[in-house]
Amino acid sequence: MSGTILSARFRGKADLKLVGRQIYYEQLNFWLNPIGAIFTVGFSVVFLVLVGSSTGHQRSSAIGGGLIIKYYVPGFIAYGVMAACFNTLAINIVVRREMGLLKRLRLSPLPTWAMLAAVSASTMIISAAQVILVLLIGRLGYNVPFPHNVAAFVVALVVGAVSFTCVGLGMSTLIPNQEAGAPITSIVFFVLLFLSGLWFPISASSGLAKFSSYFPVRHLILSVYDASIVRKGVTGWSWHDILVMAIWGVAGAFVAARRWSWAPHQAKRGHSRGLSSFGMIGGRRTG
Amino acid sequence: MPAIAVEHLTKTYEGVDAVKGVTFEVNEGEVFALLGPNGAGKTTTIEILEGFRKRDGGRVEVLGDDPADAGTSRHLRERIGVVLQELAVEPFLSVRQALTRNAGYYPNPRSVDEILELVGLAEKADDRVKSLSGGQQRRLDLGLGIVGNPALLFLDEPTTGFDPSARRGAWDVVRALTGGGTTVLLTTHYMDEAEALADRVAVINSGHIIAEGTPESLGGRDVGESSIRFRLADADGHPPVPIPATVSTNGVYEIKTDKEIEVLAALTNWALREKVSVVGLTVERLTLEDVYLRLTGYQPDTDSDAASVSVGSS
Repeated sequence: MSGTILSARFRGKADLKLVGRQIYYEQLNFWLNPIGAIFTVGFSVVFLVLVGSSTGHQRSSAIGGGLIIKYYVPGFIAYGVMAACFNTLAINIVVRREMGLLKRLRLSPLPTWAMLAAVSASTMIISAAQVILVLLIGRLGYNVPFPHNVAAFVVALVVGAVSFTCVGLGMSTLIPNQEAGAPITSIVFFVLLFLSGLWFPISASSGLAKFSSYFPVRHLILSVYDASIVRKGVTGWSWHDILVMAIWGVAGAFVAARRWSWAPHQAKRGHSRGLSSFGMIGGRRTG
Repeated sequence: MPAIAVEHLTKTYEGVDAVKGVTFEVNEGEVFALLGPNGAGKTTTIEILEGFRKRDGGRVEVLGDDPADAGTSRHLRERIGVVLQELAVEPFLSVRQALTRNAGYYPNPRSVDEILELVGLAEKADDRVKSLSGGQQRRLDLGLGIVGNPALLFLDEPTTGFDPSARRGAWDVVRALTGGGTTVLLTTHYMDEAEALADRVAVINSGHIIAEGTPESLGGRDVGESSIRFRLADADGHPPVPIPATVSTNGVYEIKTDKEIEVLAALTNWALREKVSVVGLTVERLTLEDVYLRLTGYQPDTDSDAASVSVGSS
């Protein structure tokens, strides 16, 4: 029976190829959907250019009198990762679940681990693309240097990406239906971004900073910022921030594992089918 | 070995018994239809067979494996195909991309071009899924169900929402598959679909199988009484009809009997003797739908009974 067991689990090279193919189709699916791609990748670029061009040359006392643009570049790198791993992923999973795509995938021979690996790898690729894009815009457009501590920069982003992926998967299980997917996730996301000081640097001693430090968003922004910009007394390693993100990641994974459902949450209404159930991300489903 | 063996299957959701001891077998190469009203337990039964839900009790074997066994589930899923009630394809992929991707999940898939031909989407191969009409999307769904070259295909209401010609097309696809030896488990609300496709049917109601047989013999259809209907050209001035019959307000006489030959002989002899013109004479057995409705407890509208009156002498 060991052959049977093996066939159910991991088949070596063939399975790696399977995951590779699945990543390819995940990527196709992402980039072919204009709304998803614009919302995730376009926003970080547009915001960076907008705020960079308006207030970027000013200095802020909240970051020790540094140039604000040097805060915005790492900030929007963090934004891009969170948008891909949390916001887009959570909405995407809800849409797929409610459309019945997860159920169909469950009924196919593609193993669950392979699907999750491909989904995670795909969000990592999207995140990495944004990181590089924003770094280049910062360097070429606003003369912001590349990260001074590359190792710390990568560790912060990888832990952040993994943690926010887990939180995104957990979040998706809390959303009851397709209509609520985009509004709930985006409100949570943008409120946290605001409180965490993405749009304007906030002083670490402020009440806002203390409140938002309970959530992982501020920690990703700060750990990327510390690894990016040289300041006195900053090595670039922000273990405290990384730890908080990791705790959120574990919590998200726990919720996802406990509440995960392959079947749509929303009871089927009659037998309507067709394009209505197809809409864009967050689209309305009738019938 | 049967392709599917189900014995005393039970499933309870939050205290409600959805499936209460269902037993049936589907032979290899057979098309087996599960009929029943919404909520009867059809979909739950199918989902347990697909390995999507865990059963609470009973024995289930699908292609020799227990679908609840995680160790063999991947092996099983490589040999089954599923067409779901809900249409589920990523909207931004092209038809060909969706089929090619899914084909890659299976060890011995059919060729994507062959599937495109079979489901009539060859000309739409490079169109995005979201640009397809509802019927075309359902056909893609069917294509995705069979692209893995399954030994067993689950079709959960495969033609709901199809126009009549698309339904015939889908039936042709199913027949082509079964000609190649594929076993099919079908659920449907259309009795003509069950009659056209199924070798055997079972009616499930309130979690029980209440009848099983060929479409021709279900519920004693082949031995039960027939319905003889006719009208009389001269509605008023005719002698009394010699056999007890009901007559509806629009003048249609109906005789229910299991002795068709005798009744017809008596009726025609009477008509010739009395020179009464009998028109629109039909002899019908119960339709599959009649049997299904009777089995599932449908009560005919009592008003239509009130509109009929008994006539004739015995």
